[in-house]
Amino acid sequence: MASLELVNLSKTFGQVKVLHNLDLTVKEGEFLALVGPSGCGKSTLLRIIAGLDDASDGLVVMDGDDVSELSPRERNVAMVFQSYALYPHMTVEENIGFNLRISGLSKAEIASRVEEAAQTLDLTELLKRKPSQLSGGQRQRVAMGRALVRNPDAFLFDEPLSNLDAKLRVQMREEIKRLHKKVRTTSVYVTHDQIEAMTLADRIVIMKDGRIQQIGSPTELYREPNNAFVAGFIGSPAMNFLPGRLLFEGDDRFAVLTDGTRLAVTDERAGEIANNAAIQVGLRPEHLRVAAQGDGDHANRLAGTLDLIEPTGAQNHLKVSVCDQLLTVVDSQLVSLDIDQPVTLSIDPNQVYVFAAA
Amino acid sequence: MPNYSPPDKTDAKGVWIFGDGTPADYPVRKSSSKLISRKRRKALMPWLFISPYLILFGLFTAFPLGFSIFLSFQEWNPVSGLSGMKFVGFENYISAYDDPWLWKSLYNTVWLAVASGVPQHLIAIPIAYLLVMALKSGLRHIYTATMFIPFITSTIAVSLIFYSIYSTQSGILNQWLLLAADAPLIGWMFAWVHDVMPLRWLGSSSLIKPAIAFVVVWKYTGFNIVIYSAGFLTVSKELYDAAKVDGCNGWQQFWHVALPMIRPFVFFALTLTIIGNLQLFEEPYVLTAGNSGGVSQSGLTASYYLYLVGWEWLEMGAAAAISWMLFLFIAIVTSLHFYFNGRKGLEGNR
Ligand SMILES: Nc1ncnc2c1ncn2[C@@H]1O[C@H](COP(=O)(O)OP(=O)(O)OP(=O)(O)O)[C@@H](O)[C@H]1O
Ligand SMILES: [Mg+2]
Repeated sequence: MASLELVNLSKTFGQVKVLHNLDLTVKEGEFLALVGPSGCGKSTLLRIIAGLDDASDGLVVMDGDDVSELSPRERNVAMVFQSYALYPHMTVEENIGFNLRISGLSKAEIASRVEEAAQTLDLTELLKRKPSQLSGGQRQRVAMGRALVRNPDAFLFDEPLSNLDAKLRVQMREEIKRLHKKVRTTSVYVTHDQIEAMTLADRIVIMKDGRIQQIGSPTELYREPNNAFVAGFIGSPAMNFLPGRLLFEGDDRFAVLTDGTRLAVTDERAGEIANNAAIQVGLRPEHLRVAAQGDGDHANRLAGTLDLIEPTGAQNHLKVSVCDQLLTVVDSQLVSLDIDQPVTLSIDPNQVYVFAAA
Repeated sequence: MPNYSPPDKTDAKGVWIFGDGTPADYPVRKSSSKLISRKRRKALMPWLFISPYLILFGLFTAFPLGFSIFLSFQEWNPVSGLSGMKFVGFENYISAYDDPWLWKSLYNTVWLAVASGVPQHLIAIPIAYLLVMALKSGLRHIYTATMFIPFITSTIAVSLIFYSIYSTQSGILNQWLLLAADAPLIGWMFAWVHDVMPLRWLGSSSLIKPAIAFVVVWKYTGFNIVIYSAGFLTVSKELYDAAKVDGCNGWQQFWHVALPMIRPFVFFALTLTIIGNLQLFEEPYVLTAGNSGGVSQSGLTASYYLYLVGWEWLEMGAAAAISWMLFLFIAIVTSLHFYFNGRKGLEGNR
């Protein structure tokens, strides 16, 4: 186990800079999730931590020591590759036990640890097979097994569950969580799936174009997003955005939409944004209420027309046209509404987010 | 207006019926060729296409094969014409079996096959690995091409050049050894040279086989490097990444990942070497100056012996018998190789 620190880390491929001066600390035993759109540099970052690629600039620090010069072998990290990278000439058993064999463990010790990992990952039946005889999801579990049998200073996971079906994914997620609770190994976990990130991680790092947008606990990111990108990235269904202006009236702050609708905004949310500045107004679907229900006594009201109802079972997702844009509204009361009927939405001023327009 | 809607139903013959129920009625076109029916023509066509090959194969492969079996039971000096043939039954096989030169040549063949075969691969595999791992593709192609040149050079030319290199009095090899022995710093390492000079590389029974083997190694190593480079190029970079993360050092990456991955290539290259080396002829023939395999037949290989029997001694029947015995021998060795290495070598594991 080890703490992990990235200091002013940059990576350039030829002319293209893919990581921009990252600073990041992962505490000993912490589970850190790394999320961001495709191509933002997540895999590159993991490879640099593992020692497979060199940073163009900056340091990788483990337990207070600069390890930038160390080989992957000396760093003692386990990594699950996005592309699995299984050894085609070895059986599942040999793939999983390869690191232990290289470390010179006894045959019996290897066998028992491989057996244990295989049980956790539901691979016991497949131990004698070659990777070419496995399905994509099974291969991915073997790739996981190869990391889990080890006793590394840190785990690096690169989208380890991306190819599993929904049920297996949930099951594996719980397994990873349980395992981490038990061994408390410092972990960096790359994923596209925000539910995975929110449920597993102590803290989440949100990246975009090789820059860190925000680091925080799942709740922090949800409640206090730094910018529109983070706000739109965390939360499902995604936050609604409407263009507008910020208006000061005495001590009060209002967001004025393009159709003239005024929404009260708290000082705290308005932050440093100046009077009359162009803004993006962010409204989470689950914070919007249909006012006709009677509980919509908030001061903030928006008029719109119901465009579409998407039932998802426990809730309906309403698409409401406001200011020529479709807002998603999560309706858990399952009110009966007609398409094209005018609806009034309401929202608590505390839940109106405003971001300076880019 | 074309009717794009699906047919309403089909009649008993499967003809579509639209709307009013009249089956579509088409006139039948007759084939213009009356000589052979369409069906016949279709059956004959493939044979027509492969007939050039079949004719050549029959003329130059199948017939000589059959003829050599027939010949191996005859006594025949080709100078006497076809009428000079005399049936002798198994006589040729029996006398070949009793012929000490045949056994000696087989022994030499195996000796040379091993001594010139094993080093080729032991040298080619590491060099190919280093080329693939260390060099950019442009530079690697130049190196590989250079090492391939001996392979495409005429064996006779190569052997002639080595014949002069090995020459006792004027050969460059002996000259260099003498120079090295007299050189200041390294002289002590070559102190033995003066005691053994003049070294008769091609004129002593103990040196001639290694001398031949060296030429074979020199000529064919480049070819194997090309095969193994192609093999190592098929190993994807991420496997090495995985191996590094699994704690492998450079040697372990080679031994546990790269080498097992190119197993099919090793198998293929070994097969070619076995078949080729058991038929060595030109190198020993030129290096012994065509002189019955050199001093006490130390450089006499099986193919070489076959040539002697057939074309020097004009005993075509005996030569045919020996060629079939040599064929049997190569077939057995190759089958053993397939039996022991084939399963792993040919298995599809990717
Ligand atoms: N070897 C390389 N040479 C040049 N550019 C590269 C190389 N590897 C990655 N890149 C570029 O770096 C950027 C980041 O790539 P990376 O693989 O880290 O993305 P990612 O965040 O893991 O994406 P994904 O979620 O799709 O896996 C991409 O724009 C990619 O094209
Ligand atoms: Mg990636």
